[in-house]
Formats: sequence, C-alpha cells, structure tokens
Amino acid sequence: MDKRETVEYALAAAKKAGADKAQALVTYSEKTELNVDAGRMSLLRTTGNVTLSVTAFRGGRKGAVTINKIDAASIDEAARNALALAATSEADDANDIAPAGAKREFDSGDSEPDLGAMYDRMAEFLAHAGAKHPIVKLEQCILDFTRNEKVFGNTNGAAFVDRLGAYEFTVMFTSKDGDKASSFNYSGGVFRKLDKPLAEWGALDELMRQSAEQTETDTVDGKFIGDLVITPHCMPEITEALKYVYLGNGTLIAGTSPWKDALGTRVASESFTLRSVPNSDRVHVADRFTADGFEAKDAAIIEKGVLKSFQLNLYGANKTGKPRAANSGDALVIDPGAEALASIIAGVERGILLCRFSGGQPSDNGDFSGVAKNSYLIEKGKIVRPISETMVAGNFTALLKNAIAVSKETVDFGHSSFPWIRFGGVTISGK
Amino acid sequence: MRYPELERHAKLFGEYTELRVQENRISRIQILAGNVTNNETLAQGGVSARAFKNGVWGFASQPGSDDLSIARAVKLATENVRFLAGREKRGEAKLPARPGSGVHDLSTARTRVGQKGYMEFAKAIDARIAEKYPKLRSRFVAFSCLDMEKTVYVSDGGSSHSMTPRTFVYVDMTAESGADTVELGDIFGGRGQFEDVFSDPADLYAGIDAIYEQLMKKAEGVYPEAGLRDVVLGSDLAGILAHEAIGHTVEADLVLGGSVAADYLGKPVASELVTLVDYAHTALGKPCPIPVHVDDEGTEARDAVLIEKGILKGYLHNKETAGHFGHEPTGNARAYQFSDEPLVRMRNTAIVPGTSRLEDLIAGVDDGYYLLRPSNGQADSTSEFMFGVTLGYEIKKGKLGRGLRDTTISGVAFDMLKTVTALSDDMTWSCGGMCGKKQMIPVGMGGPAIRCKITIGGR
Repeated sequence: MDKRETVEYALAAAKKAGADKAQALVTYSEKTELNVDAGRMSLLRTTGNVTLSVTAFRGGRKGAVTINKIDAASIDEAARNALALAATSEADDANDIAPAGAKREFDSGDSEPDLGAMYDRMAEFLAHAGAKHPIVKLEQCILDFTRNEKVFGNTNGAAFVDRLGAYEFTVMFTSKDGDKASSFNYSGGVFRKLDKPLAEWGALDELMRQSAEQTETDTVDGKFIGDLVITPHCMPEITEALKYVYLGNGTLIAGTSPWKDALGTRVASESFTLRSVPNSDRVHVADRFTADGFEAKDAAIIEKGVLKSFQLNLYGANKTGKPRAANSGDALVIDPGAEALASIIAGVERGILLCRFSGGQPSDNGDFSGVAKNSYLIEKGKIVRPISETMVAGNFTALLKNAIAVSKETVDFGHSSFPWIRFGGVTISGK
Repeated sequence: MRYPELERHAKLFGEYTELRVQENRISRIQILAGNVTNNETLAQGGVSARAFKNGVWGFASQPGSDDLSIARAVKLATENVRFLAGREKRGEAKLPARPGSGVHDLSTARTRVGQKGYMEFAKAIDARIAEKYPKLRSRFVAFSCLDMEKTVYVSDGGSSHSMTPRTFVYVDMTAESGADTVELGDIFGGRGQFEDVFSDPADLYAGIDAIYEQLMKKAEGVYPEAGLRDVVLGSDLAGILAHEAIGHTVEADLVLGGSVAADYLGKPVASELVTLVDYAHTALGKPCPIPVHVDDEGTEARDAVLIEKGILKGYLHNKETAGHFGHEPTGNARAYQFSDEPLVRMRNTAIVPGTSRLEDLIAGVDDGYYLLRPSNGQADSTSEFMFGVTLGYEIKKGKLGRGLRDTTISGVAFDMLKTVTALSDDMTWSCGGMCGKKQMIPVGMGGPAIRCKITIGGR
C-alpha cells in the first residue's frame, strides 16, 4: 500500500469494524541528530518511525488507537480496538469529524539532511562559542534534521498531506568562573535551511554573553511593585498560560476560564496583538491542518487588546457552543511595536528584565509566581546587574491589561516570533 | 513479550554495541466535568542499536523487531559512530563494565480487565465525586498506565529483560471561592499493572474526600507572607527536592556540563541529619516505584549514595561518565522510547527518614508553614530550585492554621539543606513522577517530612 492507500485502508477497516465515522493519520518520520555533550561532539543518531492513529466514532462514542505498524493485519486490529474503546466511552454529541473540504498537499523544506553541513555548522558553533564566550560551558547542543510526512483522511472525505523537512538547534549552557556559576540558560530555533551560523539562531550569541556576566549576581532588596520587561525567550510563559488557563478546551469546557464570556471584549492593552499564523513566511514549521481535520488558517487570537478567538478544537467548540479555532494554536507571533528596546528600558523606574522564569503552574484564576532566572534589575532606566533568588508574582489577567510598551525588535525562533514587552504592576521580592 | 535470544545478533556488531528491543504500551482515559474527553491506547515498539568508538557514539532505531530491522539498526549505528569517530579523530577509549543480567517482569498474574475495566473504574470515581460534591465548579479524573518492556543485549556481556508497569489515577477538583476559583488534585496508584494496583474504586474514596476537605480550606485560605520562612515540607515536597534540586545537579553528565556539584564532592552540602540516596530497586527493604536491576547499557544497577550525613559522596553515572571520573558505574543509564538513547537518569531518589515525629516537627515551628503538595518543579545547575505548591497550611505557635492559596517556594538546595533541623521517621514515595531531560522518563521520588528554612513567594 502507498501512503494514501494506507490511510484509506484504515478508514475502511474502521467502517468494517462498525464505525459510523472515522479519521486516520499516518506519520512517516526520519530524524538525523548530531549531539554535543559537555562541549564535545558525542553522538550521531538516526531514527525512523511510522505511526498510525485511528479514531473511530459510533453513536457519538469515540475511541482512539495509535500504533507504529502499518501492515494490513495490524491496521485491522487497530480499527477493531478503536471501536472496542469507543464502546466503553460515553455517547457525546460533541464528538465529530471535519466535513469534506478541498484535498490539500503541502511540501516545504528539504527531503534529506546535509550531514556534512550539519557537522560543519556544529563545529563552527563550538569554535565560535569557545573563542567568544570562554567561560560558557556548553552542557548540551542538539542539531537535528527531521523529515515528516503526515497523511490524513476521514470518512467525510477530508484529506491532507503535509511534507516538511527542517533543522532544529537547541543549546543548553551555563557559565563557570572559578567556583562561581551562572544559572543554566537555553535557546535555539527551527529553520528549513542551515544558511546562517547557529550562534545567530534564537539570539544565542547574546544569551551566551549574558550568561558569562551572570556568574556574579545578587538578590533585590525587599519587596516592591515594579515593571517586568519580558524578553522574547520568556514570552512562552504568557502564551502557554493563555492556552491552558484562558483559551483552551480544558478550562472552557470546565467553565473555569476567566475569559469564558470575553470573546470580542478587551482583555489586554491595545498594544498587544497575538496571532497564530501557520501559513506565514515568518514561521518555518507549523501544523498545516488540525488534528481533527481542518485546514489551518492564519488568525488573530488577541488583536489590539481585543479577544478575537479561543483555542478550541472541534470537540471543544461543539461542547461549549463557542467558535472553533482556525488552526492548532501554534506558529505564534506577537506583533512588534514602534518603540526601541533601549527606550523601553529607559522608561522603567524600577523593575526586572525577565529573561527566564521558573514558576509554578498558573492557577485557574491566572495567578502566577516564580523565580526570575538569568534576569537583571532595572533601576532609573538602566540595567543595573544580574539578579538571583528573586521572586515575581502577579495575575495574568491583570498583567495583560498592564502591557505598557512593545518593542520594535523581535527574535524569530522559526516556530514563533516575539518582541520584548514591558508590563507594569508586578510584585517583586528579594530575600 | 520477551524477545528471545537477542544475543544471536551479536555477529552483526562491528564495535562495542548495545542492542535493545522495546515496546511502550499506554492506556489513557480522561473525564472532564463528566465528559469522556479522551479514551485511547498507544503502542510504540521497535529496535535500537548504539555503538561506541574512540569516545563518540552512533545510534539508530527502527520500528519493528524482525531480523531485517535489527540488522539495519546495527548497520546504521555502526556507520554513524564511524562517521563521527572519523571526523573527531580522538584516541581509543574504553568503557568500564559491570555486566548485569536477569529477568524482571512485573506483569500481573491476575486476569486482565482491559480498557473496559479501566473506564468503569474511572467512571465510578467520577460519579462518586459528582454525587457527593455537587457544588464543585468542575472535576477531572484521569487514568493512565504505562508498560515499559525491554530486552537488552550488550557486547560486553550485559543482558536483561524487564517489564516495568505503572498505573495511576489523578483526581482534580475546582471550587468557587467568591468570584474566584481554587483547584486541588492528588494522585493514586504506583508500580504495577491495574489489576495489581487497584481493586475497588471505594478504596480511593477516603483520599478523594481528603482532597475535597483540603480544597474547602484552600478556598478560605490566604496567600503566604513572602520571604525566608520556617517551614515543614511534607514528603512529596521532600521527594521533589531530592530529585530536582539535588538529583539533577549530581547527574555526572551535568557535572561535566557545569553543575555546581563539581566543586562539592567530599564537602558538606547539608545538615548532618541529611542522607540522600538514588535507590536502584529496593529501599528500606521494600521494592521501589521504578525498580531498575539492569540499566539500558547492561550495567548491574546499584544504589547511589549521593549525600551521607551531610557530605556529598557521589554522582549518578552511565558507563562513559564513570570512566571519566574513575568511579564505579551506578547503572543510571535509561532510555524512554525504543528510539531514545540511554541518558544519565535518576531512578528512585529519596531523602532517608530521620527519627522525629511529624507532630513534633510542626510543634517546633512558632510562625511558618506546613507545605504538602507540589504542582511542578525545576532546578538549576547552581542547585537553585523552584517548586509550585498547591497545598499548605499556616503554622502558628506550633499548630496548623488557615489553608494556603497556590504559591511557590525557592532556594539554593546546597544552602537550604544546611538549615534542616529535623526529619520525620516515616517516608512515602510519590507515584506519578515523570522527569524531563531531552526525553521523559518515569521516576520515583520520596522522603520524610523535613523542617527547614525556605523562601516562599507571596502577593
């Protein structure tokens, strides 16, 4: 069976087993990965896999089976098992599959890794880091090339193929100067080509420079209400909180989201615009179709402070009666502002440049607290020094309404793009 | 199912080689506010080979475990290591060996109830919560079981077959508190397949009732006063402290990568009351949550004493780091999926119990907090840590007071452990720990209650 036939076979097997609706996804994946541990090349790893997910529906009941075999007998068994699982579920009218749409195929990136170039780029990075950042210790560097081919179909006739090849680079590092050590930090990105030095991916060079000066830190004095200037690297703390506390299936179905009735209303400062743009050239990897079988479209989540979209899938939308998201909620970009970062920092009377945040999971009401890592004290418009053992606490609902300024500079990670944002009214406490 | 005679493929080896056939089988059920939102099984199996030459590694994996897949994995791993060794041009390097062997299969001997039985169990728990606590704003019941089955053969003679299952149920409740909501959850279960871990949903009802009572106190609770405070950490927090704040800093690969523990071996890092061990498979005469008898490099697994009476005594090793430091391998090389290479991972990391009673620990605090349940935790190469805390109480003049809202605690572990003034004489293991470090892996974390000073976040 070819790849499309495998999906069609799985759908037919589900129907034969008794499904009144079904969807199937086959993912072919090949990864080539070069590892550096403790500053030295350590491992070359190649993995191959094929996974099949069959989701079967019968009388509003749903069951799903994922295996990594695609012979006919294994597919038949997976389809039967999915039906058996569905029989144990509860009937729920919200369970459904996407309607038929245009059959779409997407193809991007290379189909094979350039292993020689991977090795050379990694060697170049190691030499660069050693020369420019001598006290930075590279705990682990991973450069991989992954080629995925996803083939999707459902019994309504929705069908997608997405072929994507991309290089991903992640680095974890710390600095050590005698017996003084910095906190670890990390960065990287995902891009379709190896056309620029790895030190430029995810602003790594700047983070390694910061790391070297973070071997000397001090806590802040006492407790005060101040500003946070959140860096692009730290911005996922906000986007993840939005997804899990405010916008996603879980809290909207449970009815606990603070924004459950906020669609179309102002939830953030006018300067804040968050979009999910899976079709934009600004991102190199994104889901081109959703897990429930819709083509992914670009859409604003918050536009000029107004909530434009939840991040509900088809089930969540049916369950809550609220609109379905136009995409998987990935490929996130926050629109840049007009002000330079230096000017934004110059406007801070007292606060923190928050470069990494180690925090507890935010509460259902959006409360958060945690430790400012790899961060800096700002006083009277100037970055004063690196800090340690400093905690920040606040509430995301209030924080977003206190977005004071957004930088014109951004960092592109390949999977997302974020600016620096200054927020006011956060509790900051030292030892 | 055990892969028979894996060693017959040794004729394919061209270098030092580890061969592993593995399957992970997962069942998951989620019931959110009475709706079955997830009911699925996942199985991922295949073969991996890892080869070593001149100080570098080559790895390859393939789905399936037929002879062709095994031959291809070994061939690719060998090609990979030779590519990298050829580029790096380092001298010959050898790995230390302490080959282990054995069969350690924790499959249940009882009749399997399957996903239908799991669903009935989860639904019974959900129905009980809905019936007894109708005023809750929301509720969530999740069932999860993971069977990890591995057959390992290594060219230095190590070999093993293991089937290590874990099953748990997570219960979470959300209640209104004025215009706000508060949430609290807890986890039940542990080592073993469903049939060996659970029998009657009613066995969990006392624990579920306890979550509700704790949640009601939390709904009326207060935010703690921020700052350095006297606290008693419950065993779940002691366990995550042992894992995150100490365990990670003494993983030898992270020591080589810059962990502050590189400077502390043989030096005092904690109160003399503190002894901390990463147990291989048996602790204090009982089996551990995640028993490891032979690791994924084929090494016989032994307990690793990390801190003994306050002195840092050792690191966690795979073969390569043991060779680097001139230490004995500890058997800490573990991989999660068939397609993952073994990394230095913790197994069952715990602070050893002391001699005090929990009541006396609390009675000894004039103004502080009793902190019980973590949500998540992270730690740094400096041993600075942060844990979210979802359950706690004030301590006023030695007695428990009002409940606490969600907060975080933080500190530098190698400083904070020096403030420990007492440990309770009991110990519990958390049953659902998953550790992230390139790959996820199930781990055990445990300890007694400990009295110490810690920085707590507030509002």
